[in-house]
Amino acid sequence: MLLALGWSLSALIVSAILLALLFQQAAIRRVDQTLGELIDNLVAGSTVEGNQVFAPPFTDERSLRVYSGRYWEIAEPTADGKLRPFARSTSLFDSMLSPPSDLAARLKAKPGKAIAYDTHGPLNEPLRARAQQNLLPGRKAPVIFLAGEDRSSINRDVRGFAAATAVAFLLLGAGLIVAIVMQVRVGLQPLFDLQSEVSDVRRGKAQRLAATYPSELTPLADELNALVGHNQEVVERQRTHVGNLAHALKTPISVMLTEAAQRPGDLSEVVTRQTEAMRQQVDHHLRRARAAARMQGQGERTSVAEVLDELSRTLERIFLEKGVVIDWDAAEDVYFLGERQDLLEIAGNAVENACKWCKSKVRVRAEALGPDRFRLLVEDDGPGLPPDRRDEVVRRGTRLDETAPGSGLGLSIIDELARAYGSILILGDSSLGGLRLEIDLPRAEA
Amino acid sequence: MRILLVEDDPDLSRQLKVALADAGYAVDHAPDGEEAQFLGETEPYDAVILDLGLPKVDGVSVLERWRRENMATPVLILTARGAWSEKVAGFDAGADDYLTKPFHTEELLARLRALLRRSAGHSAPSLACGGLRLDPRAARASVNGEPLRLTSLEYRLLHYLMMHQGRVISRTELVEHLYDQDFDRDSNTIEVFIGRVRKKIGPERIETVRGLGYRLTCPDEETGGEAQAS
Repeated sequence: MLLALGWSLSALIVSAILLALLFQQAAIRRVDQTLGELIDNLVAGSTVEGNQVFAPPFTDERSLRVYSGRYWEIAEPTADGKLRPFARSTSLFDSMLSPPSDLAARLKAKPGKAIAYDTHGPLNEPLRARAQQNLLPGRKAPVIFLAGEDRSSINRDVRGFAAATAVAFLLLGAGLIVAIVMQVRVGLQPLFDLQSEVSDVRRGKAQRLAATYPSELTPLADELNALVGHNQEVVERQRTHVGNLAHALKTPISVMLTEAAQRPGDLSEVVTRQTEAMRQQVDHHLRRARAAARMQGQGERTSVAEVLDELSRTLERIFLEKGVVIDWDAAEDVYFLGERQDLLEIAGNAVENACKWCKSKVRVRAEALGPDRFRLLVEDDGPGLPPDRRDEVVRRGTRLDETAPGSGLGLSIIDELARAYGSILILGDSSLGGLRLEIDLPRAEA
Repeated sequence: MRILLVEDDPDLSRQLKVALADAGYAVDHAPDGEEAQFLGETEPYDAVILDLGLPKVDGVSVLERWRRENMATPVLILTARGAWSEKVAGFDAGADDYLTKPFHTEELLARLRALLRRSAGHSAPSLACGGLRLDPRAARASVNGEPLRLTSLEYRLLHYLMMHQGRVISRTELVEHLYDQDFDRDSNTIEVFIGRVRKKIGPERIETVRGLGYRLTCPDEETGGEAQAS
């Protein structure tokens, strides 16, 4: 675009200058022609008497009026290269045309040929002048005829023309710039659209490219969609595969644990210990597979309100006997930038932990922190956790109370997942009296 | 107490049958989804233990069909899949509890006891209003036969409105009945809950009476207010 602009603008400038020069030359040629005719008249009308040359009687007004702007002079070259005048136009009054000092020499070199030059008139006005050396009948020595014309009107005309041309070309140039910019904008618009759509897919605002593109771009858009689809498929397949394998192991593990528990003895102890180890491995690798799939996956966006609604229903049913009431609230426009499963896992473990420890009340809030972060707050009215124990619970997954149901790993799982999204789990005191869990998560644009 | 055990792994089935029988339950066993579907619809069980990964028909589909047919029997789901997304799907299909494999037999028995106690404890009659139905025994509601997915506060709101259908109920009254004494909610948030419930049961059912409060209206059927002891 810049190249096209630069080229067009320099072409415009060069043509404008050329036009002005051409106009000037044409004007000067016209003046030279008039001066040539004046000299021709002088040559034809001059009479020789002895050593003296007399000019013809001129009656045109401009030759008579003083300083009119048209002048002529008849002279002869002297031995030292200067001019000695015989006669001059009345308009010159008592001044002389001031020819260049080498004029006589130049005329002598080319007798009969006219020389045009620029000089200044009696009022110091710019003057276009012409000189010619001729032989007159009845006289041996050559005579020099000079004529001059005020050129300030020409200069004015040329300036006026140049100014008009400049204005016209400026307008033309501005129009060209606008046209080129518009053309590039319009021409490249589909590419800009494509770029913004691809970026939407990357940021999880869209699953695929949806806009209609000109036929030249359609194959590219289709290929990009195929690539996105393929990526999602690979991630999903990998996750399903690992999930199936790990989950398939859980029933045998359950059977072995139960069987071993029913037949006490050395063998059963070993089986129980080893089976427990297997179970931990399975859990660990399930989480690892999930994390790996997450790294490759396309960003998704998940409605936080929907997830909290689902979780509240589920957990209130799980803790139905205890009569837990979950009071959740999330702005409609808060979306999690990431996998739905991960938000379910983070919020699920957090709210489950709160339900486990609360007396009856759990408060869940999702608050926007800005355009790209939001904060998940989970509070309960339970006993809380002394500050000096918080770190060990979160970072090492220690189980604090063997009597509370569940694996006891909930909080460390939250922390692990939060870290995958560039955050950490922060524990604090709730105004309800119990523990307060705080996790900042990436927010997707609504 | 008669229990239906749905589990496809023979070893686990045998172990569980023994444990359940030892605990004093009568146990029927279904090794696949089809048989489970049939037994659940024909026999009067007190509770069902349902594995989700089943041959022929998967556990969630079986459960969803039972619930659509208004079978209220408490169901405990047994599954290898412990992710929250799977738990939510299980409860949304109508499960009452959820146990992840591997588990200890004692825990399963404890959960089962709690489930049976819970379902026996409630004897309140179900409420109906137009196509709306609310069953306090199972703490479930449905609209035109489709199960409604309500949180506890939403359920309480709908329950209160259904108990007083046709009457205008003020916000203050709703706040008092929705929250326990010391829930620090101001009455504006009632609007949020009304909005959520409207979204789930259809916007025209709860009428806003300007300046006074809300009213639940029951179109068509004249069953409004009728209490069915079921």
